[in-house]
Amino acid sequence: MSVLEVKDLQVELMTTDAVVRAVDGVSFHIDEGETVTIIGESGSGKSTTAMALLRLLPDDLAVISGEARIAGQDVTGDRKVINQLRGRVVALIPQDPMTALNPIRTIGRQMTEAVRIKYPKLGRSEAKQRALSLMEQVHIRNPAKQFDAYPHQLSGGMLQRVLIAMAVSTDADLIVADEPTSALDVTVQAGILDLLLELQEQTGIALLLITHDLGVARLMSDRIHVMKSGVFVESGPVTDVVDHPQHPYTQKLLGAIPELGPWHDPALTEPSQPGPYAVGDVPDSGSVAPQTGSTEASGSAASGAKLVKEASHG
Amino acid sequence: MLTYVLKRIGQTILTAFLAVATVFVLLRMAPGDPAANYAPPNPSSEQLEAIRQQFGLDQTIPVQFWTFLQHLFQGDVGTSFFFKRPALEVVLERLPYTITLAVAAIILTSIVAIPLGVWMARRNNTGPELGANIGTIAGQSMPDFWIGFVLLILFAVNLRWFEPSGYDSPASIILPTVTIAILQIALISRLVRREMVVNLASPYLTVARSRGVSERALTWRYAFANAALPVVTALGTRFAAMLNGVVIVEVVFNWPGVGELVVNALKQRDFPLIQATVLVTVMLALFVQLLVDLLYPLMDPRVRLGEASS
Repeated sequence: MSVLEVKDLQVELMTTDAVVRAVDGVSFHIDEGETVTIIGESGSGKSTTAMALLRLLPDDLAVISGEARIAGQDVTGDRKVINQLRGRVVALIPQDPMTALNPIRTIGRQMTEAVRIKYPKLGRSEAKQRALSLMEQVHIRNPAKQFDAYPHQLSGGMLQRVLIAMAVSTDADLIVADEPTSALDVTVQAGILDLLLELQEQTGIALLLITHDLGVARLMSDRIHVMKSGVFVESGPVTDVVDHPQHPYTQKLLGAIPELGPWHDPALTEPSQPGPYAVGDVPDSGSVAPQTGSTEASGSAASGAKLVKEASHG
Repeated sequence: MLTYVLKRIGQTILTAFLAVATVFVLLRMAPGDPAANYAPPNPSSEQLEAIRQQFGLDQTIPVQFWTFLQHLFQGDVGTSFFFKRPALEVVLERLPYTITLAVAAIILTSIVAIPLGVWMARRNNTGPELGANIGTIAGQSMPDFWIGFVLLILFAVNLRWFEPSGYDSPASIILPTVTIAILQIALISRLVRREMVVNLASPYLTVARSRGVSERALTWRYAFANAALPVVTALGTRFAAMLNGVVIVEVVFNWPGVGELVVNALKQRDFPLIQATVLVTVMLALFVQLLVDLLYPLMDPRVRLGEASS
């Protein structure tokens, strides 16, 4: 059975002046032990997809339709379903570790809290033992000392390890990793990705990876979905998509990976279109700026998604 | 830490000294002669001069101030013209009433404003929240003497639930407390609401929600624990201000605190009593402010441990 089964998922975001269909009918699944990546540029709807699956979008801002089954249970309806799954069956590794923890509580207290949500019967000291062994598992040096530290005392890389440990602590079936390395230093990124691969090998957990970085996708995934303007433009096993891209958008994404060698300024050889566009603009399929895939930070869901209708006010 | 505390205590003493010095000079520059208040009807100029000499008011202001300072360092704040007793003694008799009123008001404010603000943040942009929001704006806009009179007419005169004035029974504290608290509740609940809205929308809260943390824990242990920092500071500042700022309410309710005392002292041009009141209330307010500042690092590890990351 698939750990995650998504059918025709749609997410409409209510902005102040329009309704934007950020996710427009995507379907995919993830089996046990598999890593599936959704890749796309900023505003393609990839993060919105992940947040919608976890029901982390506010009800008054996002309307979800379609079907999304986590461990067989549809999470698109009543919030009670996802409330029972979060921290127990599905866990999140967030985009920016620096802002992802409560700044005034120690790492240890937040970890033991996470452990005890899945295992309420564990006593305080047992939960602490488990948290410490998890910190060791994610290669945090001197766990006993970091246990009593506050988030601001740790580096971004260390915090992401803590957050990964918290996700793993739940023995979840599925981890959603939303741009897990985007906010980190390049030198730290590789370590975090290695850790995710290592943990997946140990636990056989399924991973939904959201990234804009083809290099990350190629390293981590079994299968890949290329997302653009709320829809998957190309899907398939990672080697097929990367080695034989069918869709022009995928080809552009691949072309955006900088190559080492003599520098040819693409602006001199082909006419380029301006990168940023306003909410509601529908860029045509050839509008990826050359370096989009490698440098642009991702996250905002609304820009560049399809404009569904103008909202009426007053 | 110790040097910080000593520095702050030094600042407190200096501020109190400057406040008293200002009041000392202003009182003597203002028109009106205290001697006239304490002389028999139709006094002769000799009688007035004798009273001035008795009070030491015949000297120039710098000389008077120097004498005042000499006495101050011996622990003598002066003798009240009106009560003919040490002014400090008179002030300290009244102080417990003002402190009681301020404590009651700040407690009432906290237990109403905090849940109200949290509730408003959670129900942000809904009908009931809009109603409460308008209510807090109204509470902010009503002058306290007016609220005081309305409560007096309603509950003391018409309904006869309370005695209209003075301090007769523990129940006497209710109306003045409510009068002070209405404005404070309006201000503090709006602050709580604002801070909670920000914290409820912050990334760490979403991530905690993704871990399955209950909404109740998210509201209190996460969002409120962070929102509480500026709220505690504001409550402390309001409390400090109340210690010398409840004059009007004390007068309206004839509450025997320092506010009521200082108004009468002003009417009677009782200089030493006014100086003693200013000295005591300013020092008390600054002391409360110091306590709040010392509380801050206990509540926020980022202040306690510095911003440097390891």
